[in-house]
Amino acid sequence: MNALALLMPLAWRNLWRYPRRTAITLVVVAVGLYSILCFAAILEAWAQSSRDTTLNLLTGSAQIHAQGYLDDPTVSHTMPPPDQALSQALAQPAIDASAARVRVPAVVQSEYKTLPLTLIGADPNSERALSSIPRQIAGGAYLSTPSDSGIVLGRHLAERLKTRVGKRVIIMAQSVDGSLAQQSFNVVGVYAGNQEIEDQYAFTGIATAQEMLGLGDRISEISLHVASDSDLASTLRTISAAAPGLDVRSWMQLSPLAAAMDGFMHAFVYIWLWIMFVLMAIGIVNTQLMAVFERTHEFGLLQALGMRPRLILAQVSLESALLIGIGVIIGMIASAATIALFHNGVDLGFLARGAEFFGAGRVLYPAIAPLRFVEMSALVWVLGVAVALWPARKAARANPVEAMHYVS
Amino acid sequence: MSPIVSCRGVEKRYRVGAIEVPALNGVDLDIEKGDFATLSGPSGSGKTTLLNMIGGLDRPSSGEVSVDGTSLKGLDKNRLTEMRLHKIGFVFQAYNLIPVLSARENVEFILQLLGVPAEERGKRADAALRDVGLEGMETRRPAYLSGGQQQRVAVARALVARPAIVLADEPTANLDSKTAEDLVGLMADLNRSLGITFLIGTHDARVMAHSRRHIEMTDGRITSDEAHENADAAQ
Repeated sequence: MNALALLMPLAWRNLWRYPRRTAITLVVVAVGLYSILCFAAILEAWAQSSRDTTLNLLTGSAQIHAQGYLDDPTVSHTMPPPDQALSQALAQPAIDASAARVRVPAVVQSEYKTLPLTLIGADPNSERALSSIPRQIAGGAYLSTPSDSGIVLGRHLAERLKTRVGKRVIIMAQSVDGSLAQQSFNVVGVYAGNQEIEDQYAFTGIATAQEMLGLGDRISEISLHVASDSDLASTLRTISAAAPGLDVRSWMQLSPLAAAMDGFMHAFVYIWLWIMFVLMAIGIVNTQLMAVFERTHEFGLLQALGMRPRLILAQVSLESALLIGIGVIIGMIASAATIALFHNGVDLGFLARGAEFFGAGRVLYPAIAPLRFVEMSALVWVLGVAVALWPARKAARANPVEAMHYVS
Repeated sequence: MSPIVSCRGVEKRYRVGAIEVPALNGVDLDIEKGDFATLSGPSGSGKTTLLNMIGGLDRPSSGEVSVDGTSLKGLDKNRLTEMRLHKIGFVFQAYNLIPVLSARENVEFILQLLGVPAEERGKRADAALRDVGLEGMETRRPAYLSGGQQQRVAVARALVARPAIVLADEPTANLDSKTAEDLVGLMADLNRSLGITFLIGTHDARVMAHSRRHIEMTDGRITSDEAHENADAAQ
């Protein structure tokens, strides 16, 4: 006997026997899945934005330092510029930008105030490809050459120092020989970022910083950006092999908080999936149980006529699979349309400060990987059919005599 | 020749709260191949219970039922279902057609369960519907058939697999007298022409008038079992 040929017409027609109940189940499944997929896309966008905001400032995808620098980030732990092997490793196609920096703790002094900060000697051309700070200039201009002797301050720091573009400040830091190096800088630009960043970092040309600190051509770090996360691990292995004496770390090791937030966002999608699924399951089980109770007499009749209990189980399960499948398809189409509608970005300007507080950018780009989209939809379908097995088992266990006396 | 149905010392007791209510009290009965027998008696006499025992829809508390040489005693739920499929046709008081299937599909359903190929299924279902006078109504769903027509579909469904016996429980109870008369005449004709055994539980004197064997039940016992000649049987 071809069970599917027997059951499919019955199952399909039974779906439309009670249009209201079918519609309720479809709405429950479609809305539930829609919310899961859209929420996943927004959370993914939020996680991406949060990660980009953090990493694009200075961190990049990974950094290379001298051993010990991260524990004591001073002039005592510098490294020579990349040799041929490291330069070749940094030129591999997976890396789309890299920048060498001098990075030391320092003190800035204006006419009114003295404050601590981190002085970064940067190559403006490399930084433009790697960091978002050159694009975040709120006043004046960013550095123009590696030997630029001007300084770019954070907006909030400039306000606290009561200084501005065109005025001068003094930077003091420990030089290589242990003496106090100090130099007067002309404020050439002010950048805007979040307040913590604005207070912490000031930028001057890398050659100027090296000269001031007596570093020669030595540097503190190399920051690099890997276009695809999936290439990160292999890229770092290549770099580590090319520079065995150096400390090569990924952004997850450099910014554990950002990595934890990223992991939490992904986990939260699944937490949300389960919350929504429990609600959906209650709806599915309720409506399917009602359907089974209303059709108790019919299941008794089918058994009396010679339909085996396992075929009745298969028939009710097939009905659930079709019904939930249609709901899943509607949910997939609706959520795909919604995500596509906002693929150019959702502007969070109206809650920009709040978004910034949580580390996200102003514009979110909702997106979800096709595999994840299908995987989540399939999971909802499988789980939905699984919970609907309970009502189906009730139908299959009906005693024919009792069932045929049952009046719904 | 062994009987199609054999009941020996069949008892059935139902428990209602703390009280045990006897429904059948030691029924002994044989139904022979080709019988057109009626089972009558007042409400609560045990007619439906006995039909359920013979049909394998319920199990006796004690005693034994055999259908076409197979004892139902040791059969599990699945084997009982198989036995019903292969050996018994049912006609119920409330028609009991599958509402989402057409008349032809309702009749074909049994053949589908039996694994009959689609082409043969269609031919046999159409022939069965023709036998019960429903030619031209094959594609109608139950909601678009009268009570009498639905009961004819039920008879066609019961007969299409050529079962050892057709059990009918009050098949005319929901029909007007003309329709009921036609239906009983039809079943009697099918009994004669196809040799199918019928056991019909009924109060209806018109049905009894067509039967060749009349079994009377009272308080769960068979109180009389008489063969009698009637106009149909004489033909």
